[in-house]
Amino acid sequence: MNYTSFNTNEEFFVDMQRCIGCKACEMACAECETNGQDSMIHVNYVDRASTVQTTVQVCMHCEDPVCASVCPADAISKDEFGIVHTANTERCIGCSNCVIACPFGVPKKIEEYDLMMKCTMCYDRTSVGKKPMCATVCPSGALFYGTKAEIEEMRPNSTPVNTFVFGKEIVNTKVNIMMPKGSTELIIY
Amino acid sequence: MKNRTFNTKASLIATVLSIFSVILVFLGSRNLQNFDAALITYLFGTIFAFFGIVYRYSVWLQRPPTWIYFKRGITYLVTGKVFSHFWFASKETIENIAFQKFIYPRGKYRWVAHFMIAIGCTSAFLITIPLTFGWIHFTMAPNSISLYEAHFFGFKVMEFKLDSIMAFLTFHALNWSSYLVILGSLYYLRRRLTNPGLIATQTFEGDLLPLILLIAISATGLALTYSYQFMKGFAYDFLAVIHAVTVIMFLIWIPFGKFFHIIQRPAQIGAHIYKKEGMKQGMAVCKHTGEEYATNMHINDLKEVTKELGFDFSMEDGGSHLDLSPEGKRSRLAQAHLKARVAGGNLFG
Amino acid sequence: MAKLPVSAEKIIEDFGPHLNYSPKEGFDGRDEPDDVVKTHCCFCGMQCGIQLLVKSNKVVGFEPWMEFPFNEGRLCPKGVQRYLQNNHPDRLLGPIKRVEGKGFESTSWDEAMDKTVSEIKRIQEKYGKDAFSILSGVSLTNEKSYLMGKFARVAVKTKNLDYNGRLCMVSAGAGNKKAFGLDRASNNYSDLEYAEVIIVAGANISETFPTLTHWIWKARDRGAKIIVIDPRMIPLARTADVHLDVKPGTDSALYGAMLKYLVDHDMLDHDFIDNYTSGFDVTLDSVKDYTLEWAEEITGIKKEKIKEAAELWGKAKTSFLLHARGIEHHSKGVDNVLGCINLVLATGRIGKPYCGYGTITGQGNGQGGREHGHKCDQLPGNRDIENPEHRKYIADVWGIDEKDMPGKGLSAYEIIEAIHRGEIKGLLSICFNPLVSLPNSNYVREALEKLEFYVCIDFFLNETARHADIILAGSLQEEEEGTTTSAEGRVIRIRQAVTPPGDARTDTSIILELAKRLGEEDKFTYDSSEAIFNELRVASKGGTADYNGITYKRIEDNMGIFWPCPTEDHPGTPRLWEDKKFKTPDGKAHFNPAPYKLPGEVIDADYPVILTTGRVVSQYLSGTQTRRIGKLVDQFPEPLLEIHPTLAKQYGIQQRELIKVSTRRGEGIFPANIVETIREDTVFIPYHWSGKKSANLLTPGTLDPISKIPEFKVCACHLEPMKEIAPPSKESKAYASV
Repeated sequence: MNYTSFNTNEEFFVDMQRCIGCKACEMACAECETNGQDSMIHVNYVDRASTVQTTVQVCMHCEDPVCASVCPADAISKDEFGIVHTANTERCIGCSNCVIACPFGVPKKIEEYDLMMKCTMCYDRTSVGKKPMCATVCPSGALFYGTKAEIEEMRPNSTPVNTFVFGKEIVNTKVNIMMPKGSTELIIY
Repeated sequence: MKNRTFNTKASLIATVLSIFSVILVFLGSRNLQNFDAALITYLFGTIFAFFGIVYRYSVWLQRPPTWIYFKRGITYLVTGKVFSHFWFASKETIENIAFQKFIYPRGKYRWVAHFMIAIGCTSAFLITIPLTFGWIHFTMAPNSISLYEAHFFGFKVMEFKLDSIMAFLTFHALNWSSYLVILGSLYYLRRRLTNPGLIATQTFEGDLLPLILLIAISATGLALTYSYQFMKGFAYDFLAVIHAVTVIMFLIWIPFGKFFHIIQRPAQIGAHIYKKEGMKQGMAVCKHTGEEYATNMHINDLKEVTKELGFDFSMEDGGSHLDLSPEGKRSRLAQAHLKARVAGGNLFG
Repeated sequence: MAKLPVSAEKIIEDFGPHLNYSPKEGFDGRDEPDDVVKTHCCFCGMQCGIQLLVKSNKVVGFEPWMEFPFNEGRLCPKGVQRYLQNNHPDRLLGPIKRVEGKGFESTSWDEAMDKTVSEIKRIQEKYGKDAFSILSGVSLTNEKSYLMGKFARVAVKTKNLDYNGRLCMVSAGAGNKKAFGLDRASNNYSDLEYAEVIIVAGANISETFPTLTHWIWKARDRGAKIIVIDPRMIPLARTADVHLDVKPGTDSALYGAMLKYLVDHDMLDHDFIDNYTSGFDVTLDSVKDYTLEWAEEITGIKKEKIKEAAELWGKAKTSFLLHARGIEHHSKGVDNVLGCINLVLATGRIGKPYCGYGTITGQGNGQGGREHGHKCDQLPGNRDIENPEHRKYIADVWGIDEKDMPGKGLSAYEIIEAIHRGEIKGLLSICFNPLVSLPNSNYVREALEKLEFYVCIDFFLNETARHADIILAGSLQEEEEGTTTSAEGRVIRIRQAVTPPGDARTDTSIILELAKRLGEEDKFTYDSSEAIFNELRVASKGGTADYNGITYKRIEDNMGIFWPCPTEDHPGTPRLWEDKKFKTPDGKAHFNPAPYKLPGEVIDADYPVILTTGRVVSQYLSGTQTRRIGKLVDQFPEPLLEIHPTLAKQYGIQQRELIKVSTRRGEGIFPANIVETIREDTVFIPYHWSGKKSANLLTPGTLDPISKIPEFKVCACHLEPMKEIAPPSKESKAYASV
């Protein structure tokens, strides 16, 4: 914000079908300087009784972030690069509105701190031109951070999509999810 | 449109309350009889800050998510429910407002430093605001040259000897506050200058300036003391001006910057009571995981709030995306993604 | 030695396992490290590149190493957390000795060394040279592995030296030697990229080698089909094109049937078979009755799926076959490996771009460590200890008389058996935790209790070391210079990031000091790890694993060199067999018959359920390191019994109900995890835990007759629900189970 060399050519691409549930990203996230040893990325089994499918979720950095809108304390803000920042520590009153309202299930209430924390796309790294920790270590490519050209070359049969349909609500995000070629949106319902 | 009406409303409330506070100044200082004219600039600063705070608070309250909490709070108050939480609220006030307990798990030193600043600032406010308003003043007791009397709102509240410990503590109270604030602020300043996570996300005006202001106020305040005590008033007038400038900047800054959290923080207790009250009424169970994840009241309130804010998470079948826990939402998204990938014929590529 | 000096609980109190977590905002100095050291992860055979951040002689964090070609910064959770093994409260900071009734107390290096040497001498004088045994491990660097082999044969003069690679990939090694005359994965992993079909047999890659997933997914992005052979739906199998859910212990039947299918449908590379292989006809004969129907009956896999897999494999133009412990940990581990190799040779897809085959070596230096002579039957350069020429060459390098060189000794589990029988009285162990990692742990414990003297070199007091008389505080991987060889055959540099803390010493200096006190100083004087490596180069020269042309500088300049590399101007060999000149005596690749046999133990009325074991992603082998790292423990706090709902229903088992699992060797109690992702006739328990939580209380000591690998992957068990739901995993404290 003060000084930054955020690389605007690079974007975040997620493909949860590649996820192997190893949680390297969770461990690595805790090495990120913005959130201390608390991990902000989520890896969970989708339905362990029937499958080993796991999913991985970073903050999608919505164009119109619901979390910020529902925050009674004005604690969440979006910057000029479209990064939706974690709760401002002095403002957040720990009400969990954002935790419940986020359509992607991202914000995390840390009960002992009485504070919401969320992924800032490793702002300490991305703001100096590095890649986020999670996408750097991800061994499966479920998380990838790079240019559109790179992802097109690597995954020619997929298209990045950043429009998500939740019933009547359409959410546009900064982060992309890889979908079959030609897709324009991911319809959840 | 909305914003404009909000602003008008807030201005009105702020103006009314500011006038009311001016009336109190008149009353409390017995028609300015006890008012210290030297503090006039501070008085204007404080009144302005007060106006700003009330204005900002009113604007803030009228945002839908805040309003619903406020509304619930008023309802509890009116229906008397809040009294069933009296002990809880008192305990929370002591733990979270007086002692800022929740900071401790974030870091021991962070808590110590914050507590020092909080104690320093609060005690300073408690002394300076009534002084400025002319609500407290000190006089020699009649027929004595060593007995001091303290008056509040024109009423005598205590007396003490000039060379007593009480006198020492009272007259130097602001100095103690200053030391606490300086030490705490220096810790935070160091942290903000060395922690890469903070360096990446902080702003000068939002995060560093407030600390610098705190240190400046305290340092100049201390310098004033030392100037007349040990240096025969060296540079006293200059210091007094600098001190006044930093204090007034600080006062004006309260409604708009970091210090607003001092005013805002009690809402945390409201949120806790809201959760407690909600739990009494029952928990919502996630449609995906089958586990409880929030109170029903909270979910229902948020459904309304999101709608009011222009988000519609309701589904064709009458359900809502908000009926899923965060984990449930993530899982449903992954399932939808898998379905789309399978339909696309290829999980990879 | 007798039983523990004090209760295990008391020892745990003093020496752990305790959990190490990073402070809330990381260790001090992470932001301004003194040094950023480019080295490799200390765990599995992938040997991912990683940069360690060092401050004041402590490892305080890591930074991904984006340039290292295999992993380009990628890591698994163990790799991310590896830095927490340094700076650990359980770290041994000096030698300690057993004191009866008190536990372990500090001692001086002099006293510890004197005691060790005098006991070695006493035992050997009284019972013979071979009554003192050595167990080594392949988390050690090449230098240390080589040194242990030389130390055993030259300084201690015992034949009974073996290593924990015996539990790792010896079946693959033996199979590869039979088929190719050389033991190494034939390709580096970049050959996966354009493989049309990939078979992954008994390798839970996404949990045991997570960073290899990248290369497989990359192939799939190019359209590769993937066939996963595993009794469980592992993460790789979920999205696989074909998942062959094989019944444990029946792998060779599957490969035999697939080979027959290839032959019957003429999906063979006749030119390759005719010109470059031998043994095809006799092998063909051994599978002539292996119809798809028969295979379905034996393996429990639907014949349509076997056919689909065979078709895919048969028609592919490029392919890669990978296997790991899942097919190797069997009493017919070598047969299983040969069955896989037969499929590769039949299609001739080897020694060409994107045509590969290889075992995925498990331990950090599982590849390099198994080449340089701390195996009971082997000398450096993967030479044979019973081959007179090989003996002569190495004896000359070492400066000893060939006649003084001991012969072939007992393998790891056989050493335990010999201790049990009273034939072996003394033990030195390094980098090996047999009480957790060997099968039938009750039996192993009894053996340890019979030892007259046991000395252990380690950096933590592992479960086995609790039985030791003397523990010499050794070094972590990041505390010494050296090299390892990754699963691809890439020789890489391990850097010393910090020096051993307190009074701990480097492993090398401990071995050298012991050798000196045993009177062999002239043969054990090196001024650096590089000097040991240079001797290793000479010792390996002319062997199949030829490191002669590899120098520290060349490794550093090239980020690794693939062996064989006979001369300093040789570029190294990322892909073997491009010249089709195999290292077998006749120069051809060998087909070997691998007929189906029953496993060592089959289910019956008393023990009606198949038990198989394996790993979880957040733990590594016997857990000496990973059960001490907080977040890795939290990720998977205790071993769970995976069971299919159909089988669970038969026993009336509830989710997380405690189940007593018993076999002919022992019993343990584990919470049930009811999942559809396992065969209905099989249950699974991961093996990283100790004491009552050890899966190896249950596993059998049946060995493969050739490789001597124990049969961890199949035995018969009995289930008994305890009618009690287990407390939450987080409260289990299984990491320190006694």
